[in-house]
Amino acid sequence: MKSLLGVILAGLMAWPLMALAEKQPTGMQEDVQNLKKQVLELNRDLFLLEEELLFPSNTQVSVFLSMDVGTFFQLDSITVKLDGKEVANYLYTPREIDALIRGGVQRIHIGNIKNGEHELVAFFTGKGPHGRDYRRGSTTTFKKGLGPKYVELQIVDATSNQQPEFSVKEW
Amino acid sequence: MFRHTLMLLFAGLFATGSFAGADKPQRVQDLQYGEVLFHFYQDDYFTAISHLMAAQAQSQLPHHRDEAELLLGGLQLSYGMLDEAETRFEKLLGPDTSLDLRNRAWFYLTKISYQHGLYENAAKAFKRVEPSKHNKAMQAELAVLGANIYMAMGKDAAATEILDKTRAPEGWKEYLQINKGIAQLRAGDIKAGQATLDKLGREDASDEELLALRDRANLALGYQLLREGDAEQARKYLNRVRLRGPFMQEALLGAGWADAERGNYEAALTPWLRLNKLGSKQPAALEVRLAVPYSFAQLGDRDRAIYFYEQAIEYYDTEQADIDAAIQAASSGALLELLAQADTHESGGWLHDAPALNDIPSGRYLVDVLSQHAFQENLKDYRDLGFLQTLLNRRLANIDLLHGMVDTRRLAYESRSPAIRKRLEQHQAQALQARWEALNEKLATLQQKKDPLDLATGKEQQQLATLDKVEQILNHLPDNHRQKSALQDKARWLRGILYWQIQADYPARLWEVRKQLQRLQQPVEKLLATHHTIEQALETVPNSFNGYDQRIEALRTRIQSLLPAIQEARNHAGQQIFQLAMQELGARRERLVSYRAQARYALARSYDQLAGQTETEGAP
Repeated sequence: MKSLLGVILAGLMAWPLMALAEKQPTGMQEDVQNLKKQVLELNRDLFLLEEELLFPSNTQVSVFLSMDVGTFFQLDSITVKLDGKEVANYLYTPREIDALIRGGVQRIHIGNIKNGEHELVAFFTGKGPHGRDYRRGSTTTFKKGLGPKYVELQIVDATSNQQPEFSVKEW
Repeated sequence: MFRHTLMLLFAGLFATGSFAGADKPQRVQDLQYGEVLFHFYQDDYFTAISHLMAAQAQSQLPHHRDEAELLLGGLQLSYGMLDEAETRFEKLLGPDTSLDLRNRAWFYLTKISYQHGLYENAAKAFKRVEPSKHNKAMQAELAVLGANIYMAMGKDAAATEILDKTRAPEGWKEYLQINKGIAQLRAGDIKAGQATLDKLGREDASDEELLALRDRANLALGYQLLREGDAEQARKYLNRVRLRGPFMQEALLGAGWADAERGNYEAALTPWLRLNKLGSKQPAALEVRLAVPYSFAQLGDRDRAIYFYEQAIEYYDTEQADIDAAIQAASSGALLELLAQADTHESGGWLHDAPALNDIPSGRYLVDVLSQHAFQENLKDYRDLGFLQTLLNRRLANIDLLHGMVDTRRLAYESRSPAIRKRLEQHQAQALQARWEALNEKLATLQQKKDPLDLATGKEQQQLATLDKVEQILNHLPDNHRQKSALQDKARWLRGILYWQIQADYPARLWEVRKQLQRLQQPVEKLLATHHTIEQALETVPNSFNGYDQRIEALRTRIQSLLPAIQEARNHAGQQIFQLAMQELGARRERLVSYRAQARYALARSYDQLAGQTETEGAP
């Protein structure tokens, strides 16, 4: 009986030791780390090159989306129109919403525009206060000058009237 | 098992990409930093690191410079780049770094050393962290980390002390308690450990995570008491483990042993038969195949003991055949098929859906083996390398498109620039500028002279000239001409009127001329500026395509040189997984062989005892 119990406990004790053993660094792990480093650096250089070629800073425009607590509005999707042309239409996953609420900012559009005045329209769809379907639009005009233009669409909970507020910030 | 509990707990706390101090919502001051956080919070470490590195290269994070460095280190740590992360955190320990950042850097360095298995270093780094008194969550996270380090060093009392001193905030209390209980048990303070885990094991739990934690505490305590020889108490704690929880099988096995230890084999059969009926492949379920007939034998029910021993032997034989088939299948490439299913082409994170081998009957063994914790790191490497390979192959396929973009720009320049240059060479803008300047100068002179005749209209000048001619003619008339004097008076009168008109309009005319010149000034200057801009553009536009071909080719070369290295590392990772799988399957086979031998031996002994009993009963 004792010997059988010994076998059982030995059996159950075997797996934690394996879990610890794997934590020791090996040559293989160092190789993988080094490869990851090289690919990341290469990817950064390719990323910068593509941006320089596709979206030169003098014509570049980027539209970002941020939101705070999300108590009065649960975002489902967003549509963005720039000078009357739809440039983004995005449906959100719960994971993405969580990332936005925690402080993440999503770049929903990057493109090229000429210098001068432009109109940006964003439609937000989701659930508003008391779980009701909610759709709101927000329009703004901005001026594009030299250098890249960044526009941030903000969804903010307004505690004063317990409603979501949609605003636009130019950077 | 206790160490395993710790490992799982630790993995649960940190593997989700938790970033000390960055979990609470924060307002970003640089949009690109927020973009990095967006990917980071979704555990997409590769994309987050790529964006962060690009933003740093473009100096787009002026308000989050140090935080970005810390975040990059944390991301690298989550992405398995421990050495890079360590270097980064060490750089953050300079005198200019704020106390908060220094603390977080030391925290990560502690964690890295712990993950490397360098416990002495981890303990030294741990002592350097001074979390803010207000940041209770960080204090608790640090305490769990410190306790794990000291327990790994065998300093269980020190681990207990750390956890004792820490006040747990909401959501951390249970984790601190279970670690404290385990540390106390390991330190030999059974009573205190029992009290800690007992309290935790009785707590109300609202979610599955806490319920599982409560089960773990009861299971750990039950097995510890079994080893201490206190079967009665052990049974009490094992009874608390939920029958629908993840530790049900170990608890059923332990509960049976607790009864058996006290000689109550009939009671032991209740949990054991239940476990036996499950038909699971877990170690506890394999072992109960021996425990059930052993219990019947102890109760003197030799027939049932023989029945269950025979059933156990048959079961072990079948399992052994399945393991042999699994080993055979693995050697023939089935493992590679499983690994191929692990390729989800996503960066980072763990495999959420276990791969399946439906066509191979023994495939479940391979799937089961790969699902084990020990394989996860290797599988993660294999997947990560697969992702890098896919990414670079896609980049390589698109590299000619980059050349295409550059060629389009060059072509556009070459076709349009000659005509533009020709027009620029006509210097129309400069000529206009010169004319305007001449007019402006003339106006200045007029203003100095203040002669109204300078602003006489063409008609007025013609009229004046006519009057001059008339006067000349009149001057040549003989003095005795009867109308000479009257005509001369009339001509003077007309000249006077004309002068008077010119004189009267002079201020208005001067104002009008000045206004016209001023109006012209801006367009002329703008024209000249445009001329210069176009001239400059003609000089600089070639920069938008010159040199790019070399950059693109250099990147192509880098991709091409990395791809074979990744393939080689991936093959190596695959081989390591294969070797580990074969070792694990071999170990399982050996265990089955050992169980089978014990079952055969016990069966033979049961037959002997039965024969002896029959002989005794048959004896006259």
